[in-house]
Amino acid sequence: MANGIASPQLKVHPVVLTIWRQAGVATALVLLVVVASFLSDRFLTVPNLLNVLRQVSIVGILAVGMTFVILTKGIDLSVGSILGVSVVLFAGLLETGSMATAIPLGIAAAMVLGLINGLGVAFAGIPPFIMTLGMLSFARGIAFIYTGGTPIPILDEGFYNLGNGYIVGIPIPTLILFAVLIVSGLVLGKTAFGRSVYAIGSNEDAARLSGVPVKFYTALVYVISGGVAGIAGLVYASQLSVGTPIAGQTYELDAIAAVVVGGTSLFGGRGSVLGTFIGTLIIGVLANILNLMGVDPFVQQLFKGALIVVAVFIMTRSDRSGR
Amino acid sequence: MPALSRQGIDKHTIEFNVASSLLSATGLRKSFSNNPVLKDVDLSVAPGEIHALVGENGAGKSTLIKILAGVHKADAGEIKLAGRKLVLKTPQDAIANGIVVIHQELSLAPHLSAEENIFLGHFPRTGFGTLDRTAMRTTTRQLLERLKIEIDPTIPVARLSIAQQQMIEIAKAISFNARLLVLDEPTAVLDSGRVDTLFELIGRLRAEGIGIIFISHHLDEVFRISDRVSVLRDGQLTGVADITSINKDWLISKMIGRKFERHDAQARATGEAAVELMALSAPGAFEDVTFSVAKGEIVALAGLIGAGRSEVGEAIYGLRKPNAGALRIFGKDVRRSNPRYAAAKGVAYVSEDRKALGLLANRPVRENATIAALARFCRLGFVGIAKEKAFVGSSISELDIRLASMEANIATLSGGNQQKVMLARALATKPKILVFDEPTRGVDIGAKREIYRFIEMLASEGVAIVMISSELEEVLRLADQVVVMRQGRVTATLPKSEASEETIMRAASIGA
Ligand SMILES: Nc1ncnc2c1ncn2[C@@H]1O[C@H](COP(=O)(O)OP(=O)(O)OP(=O)(O)O)[C@@H](O)[C@H]1O
Ligand SMILES: [Mg+2]
Repeated sequence: MANGIASPQLKVHPVVLTIWRQAGVATALVLLVVVASFLSDRFLTVPNLLNVLRQVSIVGILAVGMTFVILTKGIDLSVGSILGVSVVLFAGLLETGSMATAIPLGIAAAMVLGLINGLGVAFAGIPPFIMTLGMLSFARGIAFIYTGGTPIPILDEGFYNLGNGYIVGIPIPTLILFAVLIVSGLVLGKTAFGRSVYAIGSNEDAARLSGVPVKFYTALVYVISGGVAGIAGLVYASQLSVGTPIAGQTYELDAIAAVVVGGTSLFGGRGSVLGTFIGTLIIGVLANILNLMGVDPFVQQLFKGALIVVAVFIMTRSDRSGR
Repeated sequence: MPALSRQGIDKHTIEFNVASSLLSATGLRKSFSNNPVLKDVDLSVAPGEIHALVGENGAGKSTLIKILAGVHKADAGEIKLAGRKLVLKTPQDAIANGIVVIHQELSLAPHLSAEENIFLGHFPRTGFGTLDRTAMRTTTRQLLERLKIEIDPTIPVARLSIAQQQMIEIAKAISFNARLLVLDEPTAVLDSGRVDTLFELIGRLRAEGIGIIFISHHLDEVFRISDRVSVLRDGQLTGVADITSINKDWLISKMIGRKFERHDAQARATGEAAVELMALSAPGAFEDVTFSVAKGEIVALAGLIGAGRSEVGEAIYGLRKPNAGALRIFGKDVRRSNPRYAAAKGVAYVSEDRKALGLLANRPVRENATIAALARFCRLGFVGIAKEKAFVGSSISELDIRLASMEANIATLSGGNQQKVMLARALATKPKILVFDEPTRGVDIGAKREIYRFIEMLASEGVAIVMISSELEEVLRLADQVVVMRQGRVTATLPKSEASEETIMRAASIGA
């Protein structure tokens, strides 16, 4: 094997090889962490690392939902806008009601927008790129109309805590990210639905012929992606304590970047949420170290762009020779 | 040749002049993840020679030719073409040297037309550097004429049958000015009429001095067409011989190193009707098709490729909407069907198009085998991995699937073994009705018999079986009833006692 990552001398169980492939991304993260800790002695400290985890939580959550969609060979460009809708809804509903009504309603609205994506893609046969591009604009429009263009302040103390509080020293947004990760990991890895998601992405026709409810499940991944965007919106609204209609603009691109850096194939059928999480961390750590070193934010953009391309380049190389 | 003196090589091997050989590959070795697949293999082909390469599923045939094609890099060994040493790093290298390979899995661009596919990678250009459509069209027409291929070269390849797509692949190969043409199981997708056409064509290419490597699991084809044959077993060359000096038994013994025991079909009791088609028609596919399959009965749909047999199978599985007539499953009228509905009624289906409609590429064998029957392994929506593994493990040993592990990517299995995984997938659903479209495509003779035995066993357990097959031998051996189709219509329904090669071929080709 000439893929550079896995050149085992012993006879290796294929499961181990799969882990290796995952480990390729993990190794990149470890290397980055090592390099970062040399570049700045403020990097490898508990507060800073927790800070990184808190900072990546919103995009990290979005990326988990995105992973479901990309595994089916789809794409969801609307997650940033759906996040925006949920953010203004949380703010608006909290003005008159309580958290107990605002949170479920905000997330439900996000799921409904996801459902519209899903119905368009799965049942009307609209290409995912186009359907969710339309929703990107449509949902943003809703957010602007709902607020009339002016941000709605959030004053609820308990709600503020969701985005800014800590439990046993860990930021609550990070815990929410972990919860979303674990549930999604179980769903994708252990359930018939998850298995079918991979099958649909790998060969939709073969999945249909095997009796997999392809349309229903395809619609479902967009509902999941929408709902997860609502959860990310919860963290966003709470962290900023304001319902601004521009919330989450271009976050869809960050989420997609995290997914592909994490090793999930845009051609469907391969990848995992664990990889996505690692991908999120790689991007987050890079941003963090550049910040610590005081690198100009404009220059940071260059680094991030290059990272995405290089990561995916390495991945496609190892895929090719790994077969 | 050092290989000749090595032990294990049969004495029938003939001496040949290395200097006059077109291709001479020596000492080829290849491992995948430390799993040796080719162990020191030699192969030589003279100009104008048809050289057959035979061996069981997974013996390494495709791997060997993928090395010649520049797809895989050999770990060791040397390849010479006309005395010149070649370094083949990419398929382009091979093609540039005149080695053109038609792989087991066809690889045309589905949305491009036949002519565009033929010239993909070497489009004729005008003086301005733009695509010269007129040149492309005339060259294509000349080429197709020379090869006696009657296909409209302007329609997208996706709309052609597999047999037609293959003809296009061959035309494409010829358009590269091949000196050595390699065909990996070309006849697996062809009916007998097309095989004749292909062989005529190959004969003409031989006369032009092109060397040909031909892989097939049909030993009669090997005897019919080839000049010499090399046998692979478990990645080792076990015999090279002049075709006139050997017989079938010799080949089989070299391939599997043991003798077959004969196995005769047992009579089965059949029960009530499981599938009934009454004057069923589907637009543009078949018309007025009537037959029924009882529980425990094997009905074969015979005929030439394009006769509408696969389409009938698709209709039974709900993949194709009939517009007239009736379809009944276990006595119940089926009006609006789809694969999910059919599967719920106990119908399982194995498509003839393994790559497009079967394989979950890049997914492990385990997931491929169980995707159609996940519910069986699930509790509360969670897949019981242990149960699943136990099932897959037993399928692997029952069907004798050769693989590194059930976690291996399905794409790394040899063609025949992929087919067996598709069978395992269908069997996992514990079907009551089984629609098999070309069940033994690409499967070696040993495994074929295993699959026949399996089909018979299923039938004796009461499963109703609809088998679509272009192999007369298989039809005659298995079917209780043969339904022969021609141009979308049933031209004969023959009980076992009346089915013979002659009656079937007559009904298939002239319709009476
Ligand atoms: N890319 C790969 N990675 C790992 N193993 C592979 C790969 N390609 C082939 N193999 C293994 O090599 C062996 C030989 O495969 P090959 O495809 O050459 O067999 P074959 O003789 O062509 O069989 P068939 O008649 O079924 O087509 C098989 O055990 C197969 O699983
Ligand atoms: Mg093969």
